[in-house]
Amino acid sequence: MIPFIQTTLDGLMVGSSYGLLALGFALIFGVMRRLNLSYGPSIMIGAYLGTLLYIKFGPPTYVVAIVAVAGSVMAGIYVERLCFAPLGVGAGVASMVSSFAIWMQLEQASLLMLPRHSYPFPSLTGGELWSLGPFVVRPDYLIMLAAMLAMSAALTLLLYRTRFGLGLRAIVENSLAASLSGIDVERTMLKAFALASAIGGVAGFLVLSANQQVTAMLGMWATLKGLIAMMIGGLGSIPGAIVGGLALGVIEAHSQNLFGPQVRDLAAYAVLFVLLVLRPGGILGTTAVRRGMGQRGGDRWTTT
Amino acid sequence: MEAMLEIADVVTAYGKIEALKGVSLSAAKGRITCLLGPNGAGKTTLMMSIAGALKPRQGSIRLEGSELVGLSPARIVGNGVALVPENRLVFPQMSVRENLLAGAYQRNDSGEVTADIERMYARFPRLKERREQLAGTLSGGEQQMLAVARALMSRPRLLLMDEPSLGLAPIVVKEIFGIIAELNREGVTIFLVEQNAHLALQVAHHFYLMEQGRVTFSGNPGELAEDEVIKRAYLGTRRSAG
Amino acid sequence: MDFYLGLAQIVGVHTLLGLSAYCVLLTGQVSLAQAGFFAIGAYVAAMLTVLAGWHIVPAIAAASFVAGATACAVSFPALRVKGLMLVVATLAFGEAVRLFFFNFDYQVAKGEVKIGPAGGEGFRQIRFFPENGWSTLDVLIFIWLFVALVMAGLWWMDRSRAGAVLRAVGEDEVAAQSAGINVTAVKVAAMTVGGFIAGLGGGIFAHYTAHIEHAQFGVALATFAIAYPILGGLSSVFGTLIAVVFVQGFLIEGLRFLGDWRNLLFGGLILLAMNVRPRGLIDAATIAAVKRMRTSNKEPGNARTQGAE
Repeated sequence: MIPFIQTTLDGLMVGSSYGLLALGFALIFGVMRRLNLSYGPSIMIGAYLGTLLYIKFGPPTYVVAIVAVAGSVMAGIYVERLCFAPLGVGAGVASMVSSFAIWMQLEQASLLMLPRHSYPFPSLTGGELWSLGPFVVRPDYLIMLAAMLAMSAALTLLLYRTRFGLGLRAIVENSLAASLSGIDVERTMLKAFALASAIGGVAGFLVLSANQQVTAMLGMWATLKGLIAMMIGGLGSIPGAIVGGLALGVIEAHSQNLFGPQVRDLAAYAVLFVLLVLRPGGILGTTAVRRGMGQRGGDRWTTT
Repeated sequence: MEAMLEIADVVTAYGKIEALKGVSLSAAKGRITCLLGPNGAGKTTLMMSIAGALKPRQGSIRLEGSELVGLSPARIVGNGVALVPENRLVFPQMSVRENLLAGAYQRNDSGEVTADIERMYARFPRLKERREQLAGTLSGGEQQMLAVARALMSRPRLLLMDEPSLGLAPIVVKEIFGIIAELNREGVTIFLVEQNAHLALQVAHHFYLMEQGRVTFSGNPGELAEDEVIKRAYLGTRRSAG
Repeated sequence: MDFYLGLAQIVGVHTLLGLSAYCVLLTGQVSLAQAGFFAIGAYVAAMLTVLAGWHIVPAIAAASFVAGATACAVSFPALRVKGLMLVVATLAFGEAVRLFFFNFDYQVAKGEVKIGPAGGEGFRQIRFFPENGWSTLDVLIFIWLFVALVMAGLWWMDRSRAGAVLRAVGEDEVAAQSAGINVTAVKVAAMTVGGFIAGLGGGIFAHYTAHIEHAQFGVALATFAIAYPILGGLSSVFGTLIAVVFVQGFLIEGLRFLGDWRNLLFGGLILLAMNVRPRGLIDAATIAAVKRMRTSNKEPGNARTQGAE
């Protein structure tokens, strides 16, 4: 029983990093109904800028964190301006393909900064372990868990208690009606995109400091994990992103424990596929989401 | 009579198809001006062009002398124009109160906004009863009232209304037109697109007929026999084809 | 010369990959599973020639059928969802296939050496072409024979009733359904044909590269598969071919001299193409212009599209 609980705990801890990544993804997806493949590579730009600073000058860790977040916000704005703002409604595939093109750019830019496969990254806790009775936890993952819960609470307050949040929700429901009500749709979307990138930047920083290194796989990893976690939990929903992230972490930990490390990712994809087919809205998805998706005029995904 | 809205030679096109082929008209300050015409005449296109949701290819749209063409819809709302869109387009997953707040999005006087919401509740008691209900659960008539109230929340100088009677029961339509007349008595300038010519002519001070992207008649109610107006508003005269 | 022959081989195989996505896109579905079907074709065909000693033609035929059958089987559950959900569901499937081959170890001792797929190491020594003395030119002709066949088939289909049905489903599913079209059957058929073509491309790919591994069949390849028909436009199969030439010939090979800076420009140029021609390099207007040119011979051609190659 104790190993089972320990594995679940491990999964929850890693899952909090997925949940953080999924929060940013859910925000972009919830507002734009578009798939941003460049989400991870934007995070990568920030992380690489922070790392570059770290290995060149060795500044305090909080400076690295600020640079990492600022870098991913800048990259996120770049992505939004080029891929999502100019291509009008109805061009879901076109913006997805464009965001893939930007992915290649951002990854290349990162590798031009730091060409080796991996670099050290400052740790917040020195990687120590805490014992809680028979269980072992890592404080850096507890920080991540706390950050995830705090950010989702803040995001919920932002969406339901502020004017900006009201505008965003109005755009999600009907962007024409929102603009006729005086909401500047383009600016609000850009702000949401920047905010999502900032959340991604925080997620990236915390993950890398837990790993104490940054690798060239970061971009792809962050996009895929964030996307899967968001999809498992529920499209564009904040509690869904958290539940999805934690669920993904637990699924991975247990399948690794049962079948070995090779099967870990395979199991995650298999669960995602089955879940999408059986319950397209995700665990916390509502029928409203399902109705709104892919229906006539609602979510056009082709350019024909 | 001083003009609130002056539209001159506006052309708006969807790709190569011109929906408006040089429309000129004006709406007098403090009055109700009505635009009648058959389906496909370009009435909604004109409303969307005024509100900035569609960009005219040429021509000018002036609100008390200042040009609106080229401004974003949000800026146009900021200039004092609010549109009650065709089919109402309330935010279905938001509460009645939140819909009203969305209408006041650009205003910074939160105390006055709260007071205005209370005024809307006083004017539309049924919205007050349902203030925490999701807008999507309201009846068609209630949604129309909410759309009107939402537009009024921006304190517009000019209220545009696109087919407020669409799909509503006759008794509800009567109520809506009562509200239109009442708003106008309180000083709101109204520019109204309507299919229901009979009711529109009862409240309008001035009306235009539009067919196939052009204004074909301008006059006061009574200048043209009502059955002639109705005939042209519903069927068009086909005179201006081509 | 060998450089251009090699490039022409890549263009041929990627055209097959792009056409497999084109088929599916016509019905309005966006599938990121094409790289997975491509991988299945590659591994099945290579195992048949290397381990079972088959000739390449029956081997890639069998591989295409396996990939097509897989696509058919996957499309039934997958097509319950639409839009972005389908994108992600197919992405999950494609990645699952890749990870399957990452773990797939089936090696057979043949004399001194072991042959066959070896998990993360990949599948080496797929030597049908050199063992049978095919020259690079032979291989090239072999590849383009299939490309020509598939393009002709799709071109003909596009102009037949079947093409109209596919496009009707892509334009407006509800309307197509009310016109009496069995939408699910049409989508499944398109996915199956798409899987078949991707499998064919994969089977050929395995043999001319001689070494395949899971990393070649990732999200990047899946996105390329979609990018070709989107860049080229869905009005004609030739759009996909032109997009492949544009991407593989111009952007990848043509810009190789830029070294590490290539991908910066690569991304920028794809973006530019998407923004300048959101409906693809060859859209309905281009085709209309070409037709007018053919009939009147007086009007200027669409220089922009020609220049993009």
